[in-house]
Amino acid sequence: MLARDAENLYWMARYLGRAENTARLIISTSDILLDLPQGASLGWGTVLQIAGIDHMYKKHYETVAEADIMHFLIADERNQSSILSSVQNARENTRTLRELLPEELWERINSLYLYIVNNIDLASKNRRNKYLFLQNVIQQRHSIEGLIISTLERDLAYYFIRLGTHIERADMTTRIMDINYAISLPQDSDSDEITRQTLWVGILKALSAFLPYRRLHNVNVNMAGVVDFLFHERRFPRSIIHCLYEIESTLSDLPMNEALLPHVKAAQLHIQNKSTKELDIVQLHESIDIAQQQLNDIHNALNETYFSPNEGTKAA
Amino acid sequence: MKISSIEYASIQTYDELLTPSLLPRSAAQPLLDYLSAIDEADLTARRQAAEATILAMGITFTVYSDAGNIDRAWPLDVVPRVMTRKEWDPIQVGLKQRLTALNLFINDIYNKQQIVKDGVFPIEVLKDSVNFRPQCVGITPKFGVWANICGTDLVRDADGTVYVLEDNLRVPSGVSYMLENRQIMKRIFPELFRTSNILPVDGYTTELYNMLAALSPRPGDQPVIAVLTPGIYNSAYFEHSYLAQQMGAYLVEGSDLVVDEKDIVYIKTITGLQRVDVIYRRIDDDFIDPEVFNPDSVLGVAGLMRAWRSGNVAIANAPGAGVADDKVVYTYVPKMIKYYLDEDPILPNVPSYLCMHKDEREYVINNIDQLVVKPANESGGYGMIIGSRATQAERDAFVELIKKNPRNYMAQPTLNLSTAPAIVNGVLVPRHLDLRPFVLQSKNQYVTMGGLTRVAMRQGSLVVNSSQGGGSKDTWIVEEGV
Repeated sequence: MLARDAENLYWMARYLGRAENTARLIISTSDILLDLPQGASLGWGTVLQIAGIDHMYKKHYETVAEADIMHFLIADERNQSSILSSVQNARENTRTLRELLPEELWERINSLYLYIVNNIDLASKNRRNKYLFLQNVIQQRHSIEGLIISTLERDLAYYFIRLGTHIERADMTTRIMDINYAISLPQDSDSDEITRQTLWVGILKALSAFLPYRRLHNVNVNMAGVVDFLFHERRFPRSIIHCLYEIESTLSDLPMNEALLPHVKAAQLHIQNKSTKELDIVQLHESIDIAQQQLNDIHNALNETYFSPNEGTKAA
Repeated sequence: MKISSIEYASIQTYDELLTPSLLPRSAAQPLLDYLSAIDEADLTARRQAAEATILAMGITFTVYSDAGNIDRAWPLDVVPRVMTRKEWDPIQVGLKQRLTALNLFINDIYNKQQIVKDGVFPIEVLKDSVNFRPQCVGITPKFGVWANICGTDLVRDADGTVYVLEDNLRVPSGVSYMLENRQIMKRIFPELFRTSNILPVDGYTTELYNMLAALSPRPGDQPVIAVLTPGIYNSAYFEHSYLAQQMGAYLVEGSDLVVDEKDIVYIKTITGLQRVDVIYRRIDDDFIDPEVFNPDSVLGVAGLMRAWRSGNVAIANAPGAGVADDKVVYTYVPKMIKYYLDEDPILPNVPSYLCMHKDEREYVINNIDQLVVKPANESGGYGMIIGSRATQAERDAFVELIKKNPRNYMAQPTLNLSTAPAIVNGVLVPRHLDLRPFVLQSKNQYVTMGGLTRVAMRQGSLVVNSSQGGGSKDTWIVEEGV
């Protein structure tokens, strides 16, 4: 496989994942906003930090306002991670990959792109329309993922897509978990505990994890439980550890994986060894920072190994 | 669906589907019966389905002037062009004959130049040819074939004669549209394909693969084939990607290839470098190798010509093949056929006047208002003038260009290109068209079943190039009476 194609496949998957995950991040933030008690506030600046786009936002906007942030996350082409830009990027990547992918895949990605372009005004009109729009983006992305899973041969193209998908997914799970860090509750509030609980439910729902959590853990929703679930539950496909094991098993099907596996192991160890019992929001935030750095290390190692070919090795 | 008798009355052309009294030609009878029975709402729905399909498939042809916009849905007129197999067969034979002679000519020109010595082809033409590549002299590619893929433009004049308008021997494009048009038509008019015996076109990609594979310099039946594209901003990128996909070949850009000191070409893969056997290049000669041609090219591969000359890689079309893709050389093709094959040309050339000859030049200058004057080496309809449609000032300016560089211009009478009905505002109106069949040659020869019909969608327009805003039609070769 061409090194350039491998890189494009990987990024196509990351961008598609990013579009879905950004939609999820917006839905969860909006839901949480509705559940906040009087006097509590959501730090929009922190939400931007969580999404990793605070610097970029400040370049283009003077104030931090919900409407602007929504526009920036959904429709702003200057934000390379906005839903519009992500799908646009995925589409451009796919365009160079059509000969490697199922024929209908390009059509589906193109349809998703056209849907977004045609409905983007709708999304900014009101909350109900925005919700519908985001649900549709998620749904269409699922149909694309389903097509890949059900029709693409299990070969190199599939592996690089899988790597991109899981790195992006693990990364976004950490970001969505971090939302609570952006919320400050009124001091000495009686409802503090209940509110926090509601917020963690919101996070589970954003990750489609609420029912799996109930089924697998069968306990009350609280921070320790949710973090444990999203960190450690291997049976849940959006948990960080699940993503890391997927990355590991994908890499083991690829040649020349020696330099990569240690990075994956390191990330697995960090997540596995993190006890969630005594964790507070700040410690969680720090732990998440480390996990994100480790995912980035895996990304850099992929880059070095596969995407920048070493001219030393020649095959007939 | 009605035929616009007013528009038809205003033109005197050969119509591909209708007789002069506006009755269906026999091969088009089932189609026109179908179209007259279908109500407008149904047809509109199907046309919209076609448009939606094109949009969804992302079939696009970029136009260079469309800065920043790399998508542009490509208009498909849903009324196909129909031809009988009986009429098509001799055309097909004529196309093979023509390409055989052209390849003998190119190989001769780069080697013995016997045709020059025998006084059939004047050497002066060669001296001024921008497409003659001295770097290719002395080479004989496998099978002696230089132009492996040829897109020949055919037109039909008012009296029904089919002429060859030009031979595209460099990097002809459009074949993917021929294939996709058929796919779309099958999706939206499945009934028609049951009632008429329409011959399939989709063997092309297999034939292309076999043709390329036969060029491999290494033995073995699994050669590594790469389609070399200038990249996503090229107008025909969609086609490059489509063909690579259909053939299971690598789609590469120049930066994906590297030539080592032993003149072997490699592809950069995730596990290192892999040797390439055959390159189907969709980049002009000028840009394929900065070591030999344009040194500023970032599209090509340094060392590619070394590898090709050493016989370590096949390139299709071979560098230098464009020497015969020249509107002046074109005028000599009938003589080449006679010279190399001792046969009479099956397909006639359009009568042409060469501005390099003094008397012909004077004729052109004096009659420019009735002629089409074309530069020898441009393609895509750029840099030409249709005298009857130009202003006096435009004609005067063009005469100056001719005088400055006579070798570079040739002229032809303004042909009354044939028409076929197209749907505009719910009515069938005549629109001018041409036909580009694709001919393959390496070990064997192959001609597409029909080809790409390009249509000038504006009333009265004769410019059909997709790069000039034209559209296309599906082309049906039908077997009658079976």
